[in-house]
Amino acid sequence: MLMAMIAANNGNSRNGTGGLAEPPWLRLVLISSTLLFLGLFLVLPLIVVFTEAFKKGVEVYIESVREPDAAAAIRLTLTAAAIAVPLNLIFGVAAAWAIAKFQFPGKSFLVTLIDLPFSVSPVISGLIFVLLFGLQGWLGPWLSDHDIKIIFAVPGIVLATIFVTFPFVARELIPLMQSQGSDEEEAARTLGAGGWQTLWRVTLPNVKWGLLYGVILCNARAMGEFGAVSVVSGHIRGYTNTIPLHAEILYNEYNSTAAFAMASLLTILTLVTIALKAFIDRKSRSEVRAVSKRMLTEG
Amino acid sequence: MSIQIQNIRKSFGDFVALKDVSFKVETGELVALLGPSGSGKTTLLRIIAGIEAPDGNDGAILIHNADTTAISFRDRRVGFVFQHYALFRHMTIFENVAFGLRVRPRRLRPSEKVIKEKVNELLKLVQLDWLGDRYPSQLSGGQRQRIALARALAVEPSVLLLDEPFGSLDAKVRKELRLWLRRFHDELKITSVFVTHDQEEALEVADRVVLMNEGRVEQVGTSEEVYHHPANAFVYNFLGNVNLFHSRVEEGKAFLGEMPIDLPAESARDAKSAMVFVRPHSLEIEHERNGGDNFRAKVSHINAAGPLVRVDLMTDWGDPVHVEISHGRYSSLGLKREDEVFIRPRERKVFVERETGTDESKT
Repeated sequence: MLMAMIAANNGNSRNGTGGLAEPPWLRLVLISSTLLFLGLFLVLPLIVVFTEAFKKGVEVYIESVREPDAAAAIRLTLTAAAIAVPLNLIFGVAAAWAIAKFQFPGKSFLVTLIDLPFSVSPVISGLIFVLLFGLQGWLGPWLSDHDIKIIFAVPGIVLATIFVTFPFVARELIPLMQSQGSDEEEAARTLGAGGWQTLWRVTLPNVKWGLLYGVILCNARAMGEFGAVSVVSGHIRGYTNTIPLHAEILYNEYNSTAAFAMASLLTILTLVTIALKAFIDRKSRSEVRAVSKRMLTEG
Repeated sequence: MSIQIQNIRKSFGDFVALKDVSFKVETGELVALLGPSGSGKTTLLRIIAGIEAPDGNDGAILIHNADTTAISFRDRRVGFVFQHYALFRHMTIFENVAFGLRVRPRRLRPSEKVIKEKVNELLKLVQLDWLGDRYPSQLSGGQRQRIALARALAVEPSVLLLDEPFGSLDAKVRKELRLWLRRFHDELKITSVFVTHDQEEALEVADRVVLMNEGRVEQVGTSEEVYHHPANAFVYNFLGNVNLFHSRVEEGKAFLGEMPIDLPAESARDAKSAMVFVRPHSLEIEHERNGGDNFRAKVSHINAAGPLVRVDLMTDWGDPVHVEISHGRYSSLGLKREDEVFIRPRERKVFVERETGTDESKT
């Protein structure tokens, strides 16, 4: 395959940019080192995850996924994502809209604030919630008086997940909306559209692919988050364990088949994410291509 | 419907964009807001449209004698064509034009059949009815401009506002489109205001021109009035090519090199300096110093391509001079680069800088 690629490149360079092309040995070195790196750090682990998960056969795999604690972990992960992703979708659109389309004091501070979950270590994020809502924390006494449990319970996991996935949608949308400016929104307003009509008919359709991409990334992180969730979870089996936490516990118990079965679920999520991303890229690009193609044929 | 602009002021932070602007646009008129960039013309247009609000409480925009300052977009019925068209990129041309009808409140929204008829009628009006199912990115600049116009007209506006309507088009399309706009306006007779920094465009297309500079209105008048009777030095300088000489004043006379220019008696006494304006076609090139009503200059460049010959010269005291002469005159003079010649202004306009302000005199 490698040689075929190089041969194809040689063919191209003879037709076109012959004089400027790098020498074949350099291309060989560059391409093979890239492929080697990809194979070692991405493809090999992927293979390991699935071979380990299926080592004792498909039945054992299915059994370890359906085992009650594992099923609970899957349910909790899905619940946390189902709450965190829509909330951050709404927040992300609102924040991006405010930042990209309006001028107000404190704007750059808000942008920095949105980035905070990216720049803080997830473990620290988890600790913040423990210090805030834990038994010894600021709000701890009040919460325990009212019989509300956040830390070492599902609400804490949801909160931590929301916090770490906070920037994804907004980060994806802000540059996109800024590059589009607010001309179209102004045009919509002068044509009599209200604020909601402008949002639904003009702003959102213009950013739909970026929005979808942000949601996918947000979801992948929400399901895969380890550090912050680990701190607030308390690792109560069958109750406060998410998929990544459960995988770690199983691995520490030398139950590697079950651990890799859990890991394979997250890996499948990753593969689906990559596939969706590729699909979105192709979709948004093919729209552009269709447009230019029609321009060419119809003059 | 007339538009009355009353005492409009606007600042952005420290920058004062508009300083107490007032004028009136009559019903059915096509008016150009003309001025250099930063003169506040676009800000004024956006305030008329209601996109921006004026500062303070004493400013008002009256459309058809009704104060619109507190009226929302929806009820203002102002058509606005944006400089870069701002077409909705994810909608077809048809949907772009239909937008203003579709976003109406349910009880005022026309039926799908009426929308279709109306949009097709508008697309025919701008002569682009064959483009309905395309997207904005598939259109040329001139086509986009006309679609933006059709979209603005769909809401049946009482006034039409256009921001640099030909600003982003190439020279040839610009010329065609501005003649088209003029004919279009003559057909529809809708009160229109457009912003431009191109004086040729404003003078050619508009019924009246409002000249703006640094947030103030410098002059309002027909093309002829502002071109032939400029109110002040700015207007003279801004409209058309012009040579400007800053001259010293001695004993009640301004001097261009050795050539004296009489100043009016009342302003001559306390004159500090004078600005002399001469249009390139009002300058005569001569080989002889006939009389002394001329000054010396050296030819630095000649461009004989075009209907007139353009000659660039340099005066003794280092000012560049731009002269336009006919081809006949050019060949009879036999001009070459580096020739020493004399320049005689046939017509000139002098603005005197006095201790108390600026005055004008024409000789």
